[in-house]
Amino acid sequence: MIELSGLEVVAGGFQTGPLDLRVDDGRYVVLLGPSGAGKSLVLEAVAGVRRAAAGRAVIEGVDVVGLPPERRRVGLVFQDGLLFPHLTVAANIAFGSRGGRGGERRGEVERLAEKVGVAGLLTRRPASLSGGERQRVALARALAAHPRALLLDEPLSAVDPEAREGLQDVLRRVCRERRLPVVHVTHDRHEAFALADECAVLIDGRLHQTGRPLDVLRRPADAAVARFLGARNVMRARRDPRDHRVALLADGGSLRTADELPGEAVLVVRPEDVRLAPATPDGSLTATVTRLTLQGGHVLVRLEVPAALDALVPAAEVERLGLAVGLRVAVSVRPTDVHVLPAG
Amino acid sequence: MRRRRMSGRRISPFWALCVAAGILVVVFVAMPAASMLAGAGAGLLGEALRQDDVRRSLVLTVSAALITTVIGFVAGVPLAYLLARKEFPGKRAVEGLIDVPIVFPHTAAGIALLTVYGRQGIAGRLLAPLGLEFTETVAGIVLAMLFVSLPFLVDGSREAFALVDERYEHVARTLGSSRFGAFARVTFPQAWRGVLAGALLMWGRGISEFGAVVILAYNPKVISVLTFERFEGFGLRAAQPPAVLIVLVAFLVFVLVRALSAPRRRRSGTEPP
Repeated sequence: MIELSGLEVVAGGFQTGPLDLRVDDGRYVVLLGPSGAGKSLVLEAVAGVRRAAAGRAVIEGVDVVGLPPERRRVGLVFQDGLLFPHLTVAANIAFGSRGGRGGERRGEVERLAEKVGVAGLLTRRPASLSGGERQRVALARALAAHPRALLLDEPLSAVDPEAREGLQDVLRRVCRERRLPVVHVTHDRHEAFALADECAVLIDGRLHQTGRPLDVLRRPADAAVARFLGARNVMRARRDPRDHRVALLADGGSLRTADELPGEAVLVVRPEDVRLAPATPDGSLTATVTRLTLQGGHVLVRLEVPAALDALVPAAEVERLGLAVGLRVAVSVRPTDVHVLPAG
Repeated sequence: MRRRRMSGRRISPFWALCVAAGILVVVFVAMPAASMLAGAGAGLLGEALRQDDVRRSLVLTVSAALITTVIGFVAGVPLAYLLARKEFPGKRAVEGLIDVPIVFPHTAAGIALLTVYGRQGIAGRLLAPLGLEFTETVAGIVLAMLFVSLPFLVDGSREAFALVDERYEHVARTLGSSRFGAFARVTFPQAWRGVLAGALLMWGRGISEFGAVVILAYNPKVISVLTFERFEGFGLRAAQPPAVLIVLVAFLVFVLVRALSAPRRRRSGTEPP
């Protein structure tokens, strides 16, 4: 188990923390945040290659903050793998393996290579490996040292999208089989949601929210988390004095909410929760399409209510509705899809 | 990027100027070097090796420079590593200071050393009871060589270490290596070419040193001093054999340095940004 309490790291005038985070054995926690949020600093401080300014990092009951990295037994995997270029794959994996005779060690290296899927590469040099293969070897190397916790710093960023899924499976499997606490740092929310038992959102050096991925996604703790997680519609509103479940948007228009609103509020609506239909003269909210941007199989539709509102619509739906710039459409959002934050 | 070919097109006056200047420089450097190497072919080398004082001087020069390099390695590599890895107050000043001997006129360097390590100098008086004297001794030759050649090893090693991403050491330490272990197993194996190239450069610089050595130790004669003495006393013809010999040795060192540092310039795993 990893337990960080009040951990602070200072680097170049930038302070991260104080940070509290608990990762149980076998749990996969993703530390998620934009670049420059201080995520890597946290990992480096836990691994011991950077000094913590304050706080505790307890691993299996021992506060490791004062210990040198070689006595912490924490596995660290970087974005680019950082395999030792002068050693073969086998020698890389064996680098940190502890004790054992030559034969035993070789056996363990082979077992680990098998487990992460690089059994055929043992005699190769790192320079001849693909990004995904390097990360697998880096993972095997970290595991060979029998770590008590695993820290992964953007481990998938340098890996081809096709190889990413396979590597994600390996990471999850290893974490579960070895019952290791894992902290995985990334700026990619899709990666985080795919892997995490729990997400911890770090923005500007401060932990804004910790929770299950779906909870964090559906109920962001504040506007910064909402924006970072891609909820493009973050709007100021006030309560309709006649109906406490109707929010009057600051820029015009109104939305119905599931719960009673405070006097002033910030509304969060994910673009995929905005529904579009042909405009009808029945008085529902209408908007004008001002821009269409193709994103994978979906289209991001920019609307003017007159407040700006983004909707993410399946490409097929765009064709069915005949959406085009200048068209008027009816806009609706389910009251349960409107997340209300106190203004502030 | 497509490389611009100069043939088959009109060459602009700018390129013509660059090429002309280049040819002048190449000829200027190549002629004396070629003359010496041709001399080696013309029997001067054999003549040099048959002369007792030249042979003795060659052994003295090469071994003194070797001792110098070993001392420089032991003292300079840790400093180079420190400079490559750590920021500390006064670091720029230290880096500048290391390079000062490069710009010193070497005779002036000899004088400076004499004021400190000579019989009346502060270090000279301290070390004399230990049997270390620096005037007219091999120790003096080594001292002079060390002073003028150390920058080459320190600078070369520092650059080589700096090219190795520090995070390799971080990984090694999380894998159980001590600080020294990480250096010895991960950093040095990646930087050794640069360090060795620096050491060879230092050795070569030591071998060819004249100005600082002659001030501290005219005797025993290193080969550059012997060449000078023969030229002063007996003229050009007598000075040629030792000169040819030393140029040949220096040339071999130079070829070795080039061979070591030319391939795989960027060896560390990280791509340049």
